Amino acid sequence: MGDVKLAFVVQKPQYKGETSRLAITHAISYQTVEILLEDGDTVTPTLCFVGEGVLGLQKGQKAMDLYGITSTETHLKNCLLVDLDVLICKEDLAKYGIPEDMMPEAEEMGADKKIKIAPFSEIQKAMEDSKHILFF
Amino acid sequence: MATLTIGCFPGLIGNMSYDFVVKLADAAINKGHKVNIWLSGNAAGSAKAHQKHLKDYSTGEKHLKALIERGVEICTCEACTVARGIQKPEGIEKLQWNAMHWYLAKIHASDRVLQIGGE
Amino acid sequence: MKLAVFVSDFKLASDTLDRLKADKLGIIFVANGVYHATTKENGKSSTLLDKAPNLYALSEDIQTRGMNDADVDKRVKVVNYSDLVDIIFNEFDKLAWL
Repeated sequence: MGDVKLAFVVQKPQYKGETSRLAITHAISYQTVEILLEDGDTVTPTLCFVGEGVLGLQKGQKAMDLYGITSTETHLKNCLLVDLDVLICKEDLAKYGIPEDMMPEAEEMGADKKIKIAPFSEIQKAMEDSKHILFF
Repeated sequence: MATLTIGCFPGLIGNMSYDFVVKLADAAINKGHKVNIWLSGNAAGSAKAHQKHLKDYSTGEKHLKALIERGVEICTCEACTVARGIQKPEGIEKLQWNAMHWYLAKIHASDRVLQIGGE
Repeated sequence: MKLAVFVSDFKLASDTLDRLKADKLGIIFVANGVYHATTKENGKSSTLLDKAPNLYALSEDIQTRGMNDADVDKRVKVVNYSDLVDIIFNEFDKLAWL
């Protein structure tokens, strides 16, 4: 069957609900899915944040200090460390006045990947190119 | 015959999206399709056995058991479930427990995927 | 792509649906989403009914709420769970739940 592309589309903000966090952790699990697949089969997710889903992604989160839970910032860094493609909607960041340079990076942890601030049209294309779309 | 995988994240009772999932699965099985259900987030709480069905409340256990008997594979997210204080010996019989990659693996082999996020 | 979007709430917090483009777009009203098909607000139908040519509403959820087929906007096809399975497999290739 080969590679199956998936688009994970997060449209809800982080932290009040858990769905948006679970989107990230489910996408990361692509790293280990091969143990359950036939030889040569893979899953390639693209993790996209749109609408209110761009809220709660920025650097400097205090979730661990204040609530004892892993921050979304940390989860996003883990995404980059496992070479996951992460797209954040450019128009929605601008809509909510969130500077693009507030998005987390993981270069100092050894990640090659960076978060991509992308126009919605690129996220639309990711959905079209995917076999399945998962909205969170 | 084709395969439908459903990701069910809303909790039992608190959200009737859960009820939608079991009814859709039932309808799909009736038509000869294969169905997989992944329980994650608050839906993982429904993995616990010995649920009392009160008419004022939705119920999960009896529907899940019936679907499993008819060949539906239902798996709960182990991390989500133990985080909610439910251990494997307390789980519904024949309901699978696995990590998130189980869901992705089922998706890989599916013709249709319906991801229902928690609310 | 042929995309079926499940709408399960009456009030939508996001404009995601407005932005989705598909060669064939369908909207399936379930749960509280059926109110888009049955209920007018200040005499006006839901704007979602103008968003896509393929509109469906789940009969079981309409009846659960004490309404019936006669309450459904003529643009919307009333379907049951069995019909929904056929729609999912035969009419669309991707599904989204908002």
